[in-house]
Amino acid sequence: MSPSVIRGIFDVFSLTSILVLLVLGMAIIVGMMKVFNMCQGEFVLLGAGTAYLSYQYFGSVLLGILLAPVVVGFFGLVLERTVIHRFYANPQGALLATFAIGLVIRETVQTRMAAQSSLVPAPISSSVNIGGAVLPIWRIVIMIVTLVLALTIALVLLKTSVGLKIRATLDNPELVASSGISTKWMYAWTYALGAALAGFAGAMIVPLQTLYPNLGYENLIPMFIAVMVGGLGQFAGPIAGAALIAIPGGVLSQFINPVSSQILVLCFAIVFMRFRPMGIFQRGR
Amino acid sequence: MNKTIRRKNLLKVSGIAVGVLALSSTLLVAPSQAAPATGSPIKVGVLTDMTGAFAIVGKSNKAVAQFTIDEINKSGGVLGHKLVMDLADGGSAPDVATQAASRLVNQDHVSMVVGGVASFTRVAVRGVIATRGKTLYVWPASYEGNECTNNVWNTGSAPNQQVDPTVKYLLAQGKKTFFLAGSDYLYPRNILARVRQDVLAGGGSIVGEEYVPLDMTDASNLTSKVVAANADALFEVVVLPGTAPFIKGVVDAGYKGTIAGTLFDEGINPLIGTEAQGLIGVQDYYGPIKDAFSQSEVAKFNAQHPEAKGLFTSTFNAPAWYRSIYLWKAAVEKAGSFDTAKVNKAMDSVSLSKSIGGPVGFAPGTKHLKLSMYLGQSNGDGSETVLKSLGQISPYQCSAATN
Repeated sequence: MSPSVIRGIFDVFSLTSILVLLVLGMAIIVGMMKVFNMCQGEFVLLGAGTAYLSYQYFGSVLLGILLAPVVVGFFGLVLERTVIHRFYANPQGALLATFAIGLVIRETVQTRMAAQSSLVPAPISSSVNIGGAVLPIWRIVIMIVTLVLALTIALVLLKTSVGLKIRATLDNPELVASSGISTKWMYAWTYALGAALAGFAGAMIVPLQTLYPNLGYENLIPMFIAVMVGGLGQFAGPIAGAALIAIPGGVLSQFINPVSSQILVLCFAIVFMRFRPMGIFQRGR
Repeated sequence: MNKTIRRKNLLKVSGIAVGVLALSSTLLVAPSQAAPATGSPIKVGVLTDMTGAFAIVGKSNKAVAQFTIDEINKSGGVLGHKLVMDLADGGSAPDVATQAASRLVNQDHVSMVVGGVASFTRVAVRGVIATRGKTLYVWPASYEGNECTNNVWNTGSAPNQQVDPTVKYLLAQGKKTFFLAGSDYLYPRNILARVRQDVLAGGGSIVGEEYVPLDMTDASNLTSKVVAANADALFEVVVLPGTAPFIKGVVDAGYKGTIAGTLFDEGINPLIGTEAQGLIGVQDYYGPIKDAFSQSEVAKFNAQHPEAKGLFTSTFNAPAWYRSIYLWKAAVEKAGSFDTAKVNKAMDSVSLSKSIGGPVGFAPGTKHLKLSMYLGQSNGDGSETVLKSLGQISPYQCSAATN
């Protein structure tokens, strides 16, 4: 294989793993909880910001990557108990409320930033040479971490008692409550988990980009498309959806210009949703 | 009978109404055109982005405007009048900028407006200020060319002044093949069109040209195409926040050619990091240029405006803001009046023998400046090395088909 073919394949895997990583949190909050969380992008931004601040004050991006899920998860927990839980019966209200929260976070970061964008270096900045193609190690780390994280979450949800409680709560809260489990805190912790995953994703990907106020917001649209293509109701749907739009996007843009490939992928997503309105794993009704 | 009286009244009322309307419309226009009372302060409209994506540029612009106005006031003002800054926030968005410009022109009746950071702001406000507002508008930014609206004056560098010498240098260095990459909008497309023209005219060849959407967060595909094409030189106009990831990606993937662009200097390099090492570009000012006047003025600026220290850079349009206000002052003094029509006429040929960056002057009939330009190379620590002083480069000429 020539170096450019290796790079091409690598790019597709890299872009796909990044989108899947970004979508993990959303798969829980939007996919499973069915909260149309418009501030999911800002959770990513807050995670990236944590990495940046940790680099500024402690000189370590790696520490920031470990702190990001804790910080953003706690933020999500507080947000659920103060705002989100009021809107479970009112999806339109949740859409507006979370959009407003996202706007406030974005504008706050905007006014607090001293520059248009700030650099966050990758914890591992070196590259490896595979068959003549020079590939950044950090992107490989992201691929492995994404794969491990997605499998772990799926296993926890499907094979553990905590996962069973979460799924039961989202499926039939009344039954779970009458079985003596606090659904209030199940909801809160599930939302916090979704936020923590987004924060972690933000901290992981910010070294590949730069920190700027719209970092999360610009990723929100592809994230939402992934969830819509993948389908609501289960964890695996949005993950498969992310792969389904990232792979053709990555392949196409190697042959045609990126603007046209973006448009084509959107058309593909629309057509797909027309024929599989319930997502990848469920037949349309 | 009754009816005729009524009709008479109606005529009278409508007559008064027409009169009032006529009067009020003259009142609306009059203050900005009338000669100011002796000694009364003159308002200079300063339109920049204090909030939003370009807030950092706005911070620099505001400080430079205040510095320049203070300096002019200290030496006696303009025609015996002190200048005051009337600041309006464009919010990094065309709709906000339009309202801000309207306030400056229609409510505050400023004598002139200087400002705008992005070209979309210029396009949005030039009608409000220059065409309908009949107020002088100075556009102080390095831009893509083709702005020749009446009452608008360009004081930043244009493609021929930045691109031509950059491509000439690259060709002289033996670079034969070029890859062009940019963000997908007006500015990069126009800049790269000029690059293409210059490269082909100089005997080089273009091996690739690619644009990425502004909201594309990961340009790794573009990076791969650049690496695969392996051109001698890469001319890139991928704008912030995409600049740093793109250049880092290309350098880290082992690209060995020369990277050139229009947006590299001490303002942008720190955002790129160590990968900025070796970037080539041409600007109207760099920190280390050998010009005693520039050195002492910028030192004064940094002392008086510690909040904007290090923000006096070409990519933040600082030298252009400084000369904009001085060029307008020279035109007012030449015209002997603040009247827009007279100042507009005088602007056509004013020049400054000393300015930050070197001597500049309008070339009659072009609405653009003959500008002193410098070829620079970025260092990994954010600073610049001046490779060559290019002297004064002739102004941009609008093609007849525009505007």
